[in-house]
Amino acid sequence: MWRLALSTLRHRKSAFAATFVALFLGTSIIMACGALMETGVRLEVPPRRLATAAVVVTGDQSYALPRMNPSDEEEDIEWAMLPERVRVDARLVETLAAVAGVARATAVEPSPGAGGAARRSTVDAVGVVAAPGVDPEDLARRVEAATRGHAVSVLTGDDRGLAEFPGALGGREGLIVLAAVFGGMAIMVVTFVVASTLGLSVRQRRREMALLRAVGATPRQVRRMVLGEALALACAAVVPGSLLGPVLGRWLFDRLTANGVVPGVIRYAQGWVPAAAAAGVAMLTALAAALLAARRASLTRPAEALAEAGLLGATAGRARRILAAVCFAGGVALALVTVLVMSGSLAGSTAGPAVLVWAVGLALIGPDVARLLTRALAGPIRAVSGPAGHLAVLNARARTGRVAAAAVPVMLATGMATANLYMQTTEVDAATASYAGSLRADAVLTAASGGFTPAVLDRVRAVPGVGGASELSTSTAFIESPHDNWQREDGWPAQGFTAEEAGRAVALPVTAGSLAGLTGDTVALTAEHARHVGRGVGVGDRVTLRMGDGARADLTVVALLAAKTGTETILLPARLLAAHTTVGLPARILVRAAPGTDIQTLSEKLSAALRDPAGAGSGPSSGPSSGPSSGPSPGPSYGTVTAGRDALTSAYTAQQRTQAWVSYLLVGMILLYTAISVVNTQVMTTAQRRREFGLQRLAGSTRGQVMRMTGLEGVLVAAVGILLGTAASTITLVPFAVAVAGTPLPSGPPWIYAVIVASAVALTLAATWLPTWSATRSRPAEAATAPA
Amino acid sequence: MNAPETGHAVRLDAVSKVYGTGGGTVVALDGVTIGVPRSALTAVMGPSGSGKSTFLHCAAGLDRPTTGSVTLDGLDITGLGEVALTRLRRDRIGFVFQSFNLMPALTVLQNVTLPSLLAGQEPDRARVAEVIRRVGLAERTGHRPDELSGGQQQRVAIARALVNRPAVIFADEPTGALDTRTALDVLGLLRESVVEGGQTVVMVTHDPVAASYADQVVFLADGRFADRLDRPSADQVAARMTHLGAWEGRPAGGASKGGVR
Repeated sequence: MWRLALSTLRHRKSAFAATFVALFLGTSIIMACGALMETGVRLEVPPRRLATAAVVVTGDQSYALPRMNPSDEEEDIEWAMLPERVRVDARLVETLAAVAGVARATAVEPSPGAGGAARRSTVDAVGVVAAPGVDPEDLARRVEAATRGHAVSVLTGDDRGLAEFPGALGGREGLIVLAAVFGGMAIMVVTFVVASTLGLSVRQRRREMALLRAVGATPRQVRRMVLGEALALACAAVVPGSLLGPVLGRWLFDRLTANGVVPGVIRYAQGWVPAAAAAGVAMLTALAAALLAARRASLTRPAEALAEAGLLGATAGRARRILAAVCFAGGVALALVTVLVMSGSLAGSTAGPAVLVWAVGLALIGPDVARLLTRALAGPIRAVSGPAGHLAVLNARARTGRVAAAAVPVMLATGMATANLYMQTTEVDAATASYAGSLRADAVLTAASGGFTPAVLDRVRAVPGVGGASELSTSTAFIESPHDNWQREDGWPAQGFTAEEAGRAVALPVTAGSLAGLTGDTVALTAEHARHVGRGVGVGDRVTLRMGDGARADLTVVALLAAKTGTETILLPARLLAAHTTVGLPARILVRAAPGTDIQTLSEKLSAALRDPAGAGSGPSSGPSSGPSSGPSPGPSYGTVTAGRDALTSAYTAQQRTQAWVSYLLVGMILLYTAISVVNTQVMTTAQRRREFGLQRLAGSTRGQVMRMTGLEGVLVAAVGILLGTAASTITLVPFAVAVAGTPLPSGPPWIYAVIVASAVALTLAATWLPTWSATRSRPAEAATAPA
Repeated sequence: MNAPETGHAVRLDAVSKVYGTGGGTVVALDGVTIGVPRSALTAVMGPSGSGKSTFLHCAAGLDRPTTGSVTLDGLDITGLGEVALTRLRRDRIGFVFQSFNLMPALTVLQNVTLPSLLAGQEPDRARVAEVIRRVGLAERTGHRPDELSGGQQQRVAIARALVNRPAVIFADEPTGALDTRTALDVLGLLRESVVEGGQTVVMVTHDPVAASYADQVVFLADGRFADRLDRPSADQVAARMTHLGAWEGRPAGGASKGGVR
């Protein structure tokens, strides 16, 4: 059968072109994702300043979340990553200098400007330079022995850079998740598209399959032939795919770093493992898709070889209906989980797969749905068009199988693009609204790098027209005790405020206590959250926090606030929180205008105040964790000012762009694949109708009428696909919006949907018209008598 | 009737075939008992809807009868499974269809040796060469079907059917898509295989000229055996067909199922 498969492949190159392209691009994308994942897993951060140190000692960034029952040894320990730099005891420098084989140990000093008594007894990291001839790995073992008892990590080789760029560690998870999501989605989409292109090639060779069965091929042999074709194609596609893969991976990584999704200090790693894995996955994908197509082929009845080629009217088989029912049940379950269990940013993890499940379910019963919709759309199409429309409707009705085959990829594209893009906009809008709704400010100052020293706050307060100003620090904190039943491994967002202004800067209603007391060792929690900490904590109770840098803080609760579930925050004094961040200083200042002040004038005065270098904390020779500190022109500035109604949202949305970029990447890939699928289906089925077009023209149709007829058929296909895709995305978006924004209506600009619909129609029409035009180029008599 | 059918290559015993269930059933064959003699060309004729095609499907193991039994080359094939039927078709039956006989991706030679390929056997080269020469395509073994005329394609199909020396060759309107002269060529080839090679051929046709090449002509009407003629002329066949058509068209003759073309 292998020989037969190869002969068929050679003979029908065009029929397999789409499958080949899909597998080729799939291999490249999967390989690129594999490389991104490898980059994340390896996390090679080459040292820069510490390049001469053979071994670098840093604080241990991992944190074991407190167990529900500390005495229960059975309970699994969950590990969290501390987001801020964990410092090490300054005395370690001397200890390490005394270790055998050490030429010298030097402290990596904290960022300039980072103040506080605690900082003088700690250093960012210790660089250990080996004596000549000492093996770094041997030295690392001795350093580990010498630091036993301290919570430190001993780094060598390409891990040493982590001491200089602790932010890289945080980028790791993002990179791995992104590669996994993108790669996983690619595998599913490739399987789907390859199954549809192979399925079409089998459907179009129905008589060939029947002939084979008649002259003695067993169902198994037919199956093996189809599998053989797919495997041969996969082998051929993997080779160029492996060449494009690394290029694509590098390009994706560069885009990710350029857009700030991933820290640029991480070194791109492209090994043979992702290449081999991608080749294997591409093979398996082709095999899985071919199994679906081969089953259909092997069921061909041999007697069909004797019949004239029938119309491609089709109904979904029972197995497909059952599978579709399973998909719909899964979709409903995911929707319920989204609404009932998920909240905030987590909702996407159930809503994302939901749209795919709905789309696959609809695709499975495609022929049935296509027939229903064709019937429903027949009236309108007949009403607006003459005889061409009449013919188009008759054609579509007679060949619902063809309409379904063409509409399914359109549905997939519309559904996936609509769902993914509006999930993105809905989530960003909800997060922005909740952020902006929780704070109040007329102007927001954002530090260009590092943070603002206390002096800047004083300067800002002195600017005429300023009614009040509060520093705003942001970080992450964990509740250590009493046990927090809601806590997850990514901890709680923590915000720090200046006590005098906190009452006005925080927009959330205070339900108990007062934010004016938010000084010293104090904390404020949201009321609902506080109820779930231990047996419930209230004003005056003490809680122990684990700060972002791993330090413990015993704090007194001074206030409780009302907040929506999913938007919990821990409020702390700004300086207290800032002291436990890598930078050590608050990054923002919220400014309230005095009554009657012109915001525009105020904004200019604030910009002027920031341009004076005297008060800024991060000087030109800033610490290792801050980038180049030259501000935007004109003149060096130590921060930017956003003012007016959008002050908070525009300061916030800048951070959200990275997430959007990932969504666009996903949608772009899906659209690319859909285009392959739509073009393939339309080109193959239209080209097959040469004779039909010829006969129609002999019967009196002009070429224009044929074009109009196929155009209307194309519109019908696009309409069916768009309706189904819109349905699939709506079913997904409504529960998502309920979970994220508390309203069933997703938010986002309507033009996104308009662009999606317009692209779907344009793509379908182009893919219909080009082959029609080419099929009607010859004289009608020739076409009518040509072999089908 | 139950004696060993040494003289019959294929035998249908009280074969009925009903399509569909419930109210929409169609009785395509209604208790047909026919024996096909060995080393002879048998033509099966009848108006459209008379059950010719169903007869061929059941006789060749492409379809299973609803009731009754089919014996092919001494083997009762009625209860055989799909794989066994496939093997039977591959090893003991040759097919020539009206059109679309050949795999478009394969050359003439590959198409002729396709059954061997499917059986996983090395084809008998001498036999293949001889058969291809006999159908007059020795110069075209490397061509693909789309490079051949309709008549040449039918000759390739006949070569494929002959190559394994099958017990029976079933031909379904083998000349239906050909012009008169080419049709006569093809009929000549089939006739020759019977006379010179002792081959058994069953041919479904509606063309009286084609039927006149047969040793016996079996007539079907309304799914039932209607008549038989031995070595008839084309005129005799045509007359019989006209009669069958008139007979079928009579109101008392039951449901009309179309006329003679």
